[in-house]
Amino acid sequence: MMNDWLAPKYLLWLWQGFEVTLALSLSAGVAATAGGLVLALLADARARFARRAVDAYVVAFRNTPLLVQLLFWYFGAATLLPDAATQWLNAAHVVHIGPLALRWPSFEFVAGWVGLTCYTAAFVAEEFRAGIAGVAANQRLAAFALGLTPRDAFRYVVLPQAVRISLPPLFGQSMNLVKNSSLTMAIGLAELSYASRQVETETFKTFEAFGVATVLYVAAIAVIEAISLVVAHRRGRSLARR
Amino acid sequence: MPWHLFVANLPYLLVGAFPQGPLGGAALTLVLASTSAVASAVLGLALGVALALAGPIVRVPLLLSIGFFRAIPVLMLIFWTYFLLPTIFHVDVPGLAAVVCALSLIGGAYLAHSVHAGIRAVGDAQWQAGLSLGFTRFDALRYVVLPQALRIMAPSFVNQWVTLVKDTSLAYIVGVGELSFVATQVNNRLMIYPIPVFVTVGFLYLVLCTALDRIATHWLGRTRRAASPRTVLAPAAGD
Repeated sequence: MMNDWLAPKYLLWLWQGFEVTLALSLSAGVAATAGGLVLALLADARARFARRAVDAYVVAFRNTPLLVQLLFWYFGAATLLPDAATQWLNAAHVVHIGPLALRWPSFEFVAGWVGLTCYTAAFVAEEFRAGIAGVAANQRLAAFALGLTPRDAFRYVVLPQAVRISLPPLFGQSMNLVKNSSLTMAIGLAELSYASRQVETETFKTFEAFGVATVLYVAAIAVIEAISLVVAHRRGRSLARR
Repeated sequence: MPWHLFVANLPYLLVGAFPQGPLGGAALTLVLASTSAVASAVLGLALGVALALAGPIVRVPLLLSIGFFRAIPVLMLIFWTYFLLPTIFHVDVPGLAAVVCALSLIGGAYLAHSVHAGIRAVGDAQWQAGLSLGFTRFDALRYVVLPQALRIMAPSFVNQWVTLVKDTSLAYIVGVGELSFVATQVNNRLMIYPIPVFVTVGFLYLVLCTALDRIATHWLGRTRRAASPRTVLAPAAGD
């Protein structure tokens, strides 16, 4: 029976793939949240040009497949970079911070990160916009009546409530992000899906290879779900205390 | 990109090698998307109705299996259908069927929750009204609750279909010659024009998705307006 299961070597491949998936999702998640917030703030700006630009960005990035965007960043955007930059990106770089050695990620990782960040930011921006729109207009007027400047009213009155409203859908977006990260295998990044495919080709143990990868994906999604439940629970309690 | 190169490759992007060979490109993307759209709508309706009617014993395994399909990446499910089904049943599963199967299952799992929510949003009173008129449970659902629920859940169907169009690009992974796949072929053939190629392909998808979104929303808006006199009268009847 032991012979039927995957050798430790292959399990290690899958685990390393999972680590890449997690690193990619986490770094793209942080960047996309920041980018989405900036886009939502621009969409709230008074300048019509800014609003139009955000609208165009959101439509373009939401209505085209992530796969095409990734292929664009990987094959297309690389040709726009000067040769020196391409060489620098392709070469290995190590940064030493004390005992830690940080390796600069591969070009595939960078392209995947850019693609996932730009794609997810469009969705995050829409969630933040919905959250800002969900704050009653009276809240802003009340803040003005208290003598807050428009900027302070937004910062201290509207934004905290908007974030609270958009938190549940944002957790949904982070789950999508983890799942979408699987598409980076198309540009050759050795993440979990890529690793499972590689293990499958090498061992012909189709069920085991995809089974382990599927379980890891489901586990990652379940952890995010659990965090969102804990956050919702704590928020419910903190609201009840007021 | 020199204009003549672009014009020479445009038919290939749109229909593949069609008159001489198999259908491909944007046309195959449309075929894939519409087949999976119909299949996922049917599946979503069936699962959503089952969720609404099921007792606690059926509901838990149903929720778990729907949750499973919502939790795994589409790509992973395509792997399952494309690589595992042949080894289990010893049949050759063509890439097209595997992709349609995977997209329908995931789309159906997402729609199931929208359908369920739509049915719940209609409210118990409508059920009770239907039952008190002598409808069976199924007839009350069919003639009273579902028509109203469908109107509520229409936007999520449109969203899901747009997502479907985008997800058909994943067929690229198993070598189905749809738009993304022929895009990489054209890119490899031309070698030095990746940006125009992928921008063009992105634009084609953009047109497909935006058109689908606008047309479906407009059409649903029209049916909603046509239906609105009835909903306006409803509160008056309660006075």
